[in-house]
Amino acid sequence: MEENAQYLYITDRGFKALVKGLLKERRVYGTVRKDGFPAFKEISGAEEIELVQTPTHLSAKEFLFPQREVLLKFDIKDNTHEAVVEAGDQAIIGLHPCDIRAIGLMDRVFSCGAQDVNYLARRGRTILIGSDCMPDRYCFCKSLGDTDVDSGFDIFLHRLKTGFIARTGTEVGADLIRKFAGPRMPSPRELTELEGLRTRREGSFTATLEAPPEALPGIYAMSDESPVWERIGSICYGCGSCNNVCPTCYCFDVRDEVRANLNDGERVRTWDGCTLDDFARVSGGHDFRKTRAARLKHRFNRKFRYLSGRFDSLFCVGCGRCSRACLVRINIAEVTNELIRESYKK
Amino acid sequence: MSLYANPTKSSPPSPYLPSACRIEEALRPTAKEKFFRLAPHDPHILNYSPGQFFMVGLPGYGEAPISITSGPDEGCIELCIRAVGNVTNAIHRLEKGDTLWVRGPFGRGFDVEGMAGKDLVFVAGGIGIAPMRSLVKAVIKRGGFGRLTLLYGAKGPEEILYGDEFEGWRAKGVDVRITIDRPSPGWKGYVGVVTTLIPPLDIDEGRTLAVVLGPPVLYKFVIWGLRHKGIKDDDMLLSLERRMKCGLGKCGHCQINCVYVCQEGPVFRLSELKGLPEAI
Ligand SMILES: Cc1cc2nc3c(=O)[nH]c(=O)nc-3n(C[C@H](O)[C@H](O)[C@H](O)COP(=O)(O)OP(=O)(O)OC[C@H]3O[C@@H](n4cnc5c(N)ncnc54)[C@H](O)[C@@H]3O)c2cc1C
Ligand code: SF4
Ligand code: SF4
Ligand code: FES
Repeated sequence: MEENAQYLYITDRGFKALVKGLLKERRVYGTVRKDGFPAFKEISGAEEIELVQTPTHLSAKEFLFPQREVLLKFDIKDNTHEAVVEAGDQAIIGLHPCDIRAIGLMDRVFSCGAQDVNYLARRGRTILIGSDCMPDRYCFCKSLGDTDVDSGFDIFLHRLKTGFIARTGTEVGADLIRKFAGPRMPSPRELTELEGLRTRREGSFTATLEAPPEALPGIYAMSDESPVWERIGSICYGCGSCNNVCPTCYCFDVRDEVRANLNDGERVRTWDGCTLDDFARVSGGHDFRKTRAARLKHRFNRKFRYLSGRFDSLFCVGCGRCSRACLVRINIAEVTNELIRESYKK
Repeated sequence: MSLYANPTKSSPPSPYLPSACRIEEALRPTAKEKFFRLAPHDPHILNYSPGQFFMVGLPGYGEAPISITSGPDEGCIELCIRAVGNVTNAIHRLEKGDTLWVRGPFGRGFDVEGMAGKDLVFVAGGIGIAPMRSLVKAVIKRGGFGRLTLLYGAKGPEEILYGDEFEGWRAKGVDVRITIDRPSPGWKGYVGVVTTLIPPLDIDEGRTLAVVLGPPVLYKFVIWGLRHKGIKDDDMLLSLERRMKCGLGKCGHCQINCVYVCQEGPVFRLSELKGLPEAI
């Protein structure tokens, strides 16, 4: 480990003091076990946090891009609009490397071209604290490049038997550690323990893609006519769960909600999903993606091909959430592997 | 990339905030369409080109993408809106003096300068005549084109839009040919869908650009007809309609394969749509 300077040791008490310090100045969301399942939740005390190593079922995107968000307030009688930006200081604790990469992609989406002030203001006031994970049978981030992140977070915590190795990714993160957590340089033994954790994690991936990430846009481009789409389309419910749980699905609907007084109301945006029935229907009833097969093809292509030119990155981080959530067990890694195998035959 | 730690001080204005326009004139040319001339409070939004669109909205109802039907540099925004649903029906209730809210202009319109010197064949179906009018006016104003032909198909005589303007266009050298879908008492012009007007055209395919604006169902047949006349995909321009919720390249609704219609479109060369199987 060359860059020891980045690595600091903090004790369990130091971690608790950090959370306590954050709670004094901002809302804090952390990972907990909810009905036995890992989840992000607003917390009010450090003891509530459990740095769960398996991925949360829902991603953390709702804290930056809420499921329902007010964009405008209007008054019909006075004929006025007012822009609304709902942003407060907050911190998210327990983000895994895939979550952090996903937030980096969301940052690109909402800052590219027109600046989405609603997202960017909230993001600008959010502290990101990562923690390490262990893959389950759905995780395949390793096949998409890096299993770890070295930027995109303020602090990243590696849990040791006692205490943590903390990496800082920003000045803000470094300041927080200094101010609250009482850091010291890690001992060689602690660094060796970290190295061991990393090696164990690297060896724990079971789901893998059978082609390198650079090849995926090309493979998807060859797969427009693949029979795979019809097959998975015929079992898909079109329920949109895959869109909901995905940390990089950002499509939204906008609609007006009027109060009971029939005068004031709000223009709100809500999550939408490209697998849902009417997503691409236009007036007159013409639907540009009528079948579930067409809609799944669209969703998968967005992750591996359509957006890669626009944002210079694949849009799947390999978290496996969509596969975990799918009621009919459509598995994005397995589907991708099928397409890869078909393309080798061509 | 910029993140805004302090939204009030450092962030740009919300791209979702519409600006107000006073309705200077509201006409009802047909049973389904209403025509509005708008005077915007913010003169900056008058800087538009034909083919671009605004997100047009009313508080309490929402927004809908609507093409600009006025020519550029006319000092106003004109829209022609067909009532089909929630937002468009609500807008139809507005009259002169009321306020309409718009965001935009959005998208890539027509490059009128780049088209100069060519023969132009305009093919419009239904409400497609609305954005076509903006282009025709810009072309007439600029001058310096070859032969200009407008083929326009409407369901019946009572649905024809801008009927009172065609004589003026003819006087400026546009060969305007109108057809209605089914025979109608008193109608002496062409009968049949707009594609039937294509085969008789005398086209110099080397110097002709075709512009096709209409409902999604129109495109396949018109494109087929134009290809038969020797017009290359590179010389066909068309505007795509998609569901749109933001106009900003964010909401994802207008996406066709790799393309966001609200950003890279709505105007495309047909050749640009090659490899986008969902486009037409
Ligand atoms: C670039 C562009 C330019 C345009 N220019 C013009 C123009 O100049 N003039 C013009 O009149 N129109 C134009 N349109 C079309 C116009 O935007 C639509 O007619 C408008 O958005 C309809 O909005 P609405 O709220 O009134 O209808 P909606 O209430 O949204 O519904 C209209 C119809 O769409 C279908 N529909 C919509 N949403 C749903 C849903 N959730 N579930 C099921 N069905 C649904 C239904 O068939 C419904 O009757 C343009 C569109 C685009 C993309
Ligand atoms: S597509 Fe599936 S695996 Fe990829 S980032 Fe989204 S939820 Fe995770
Ligand atoms: S979660 Fe599964 S069933 Fe639901 S829309 Fe996605 S792929 Fe289809
Ligand atoms: S209209 Fe929202 S992305 Fe194009």
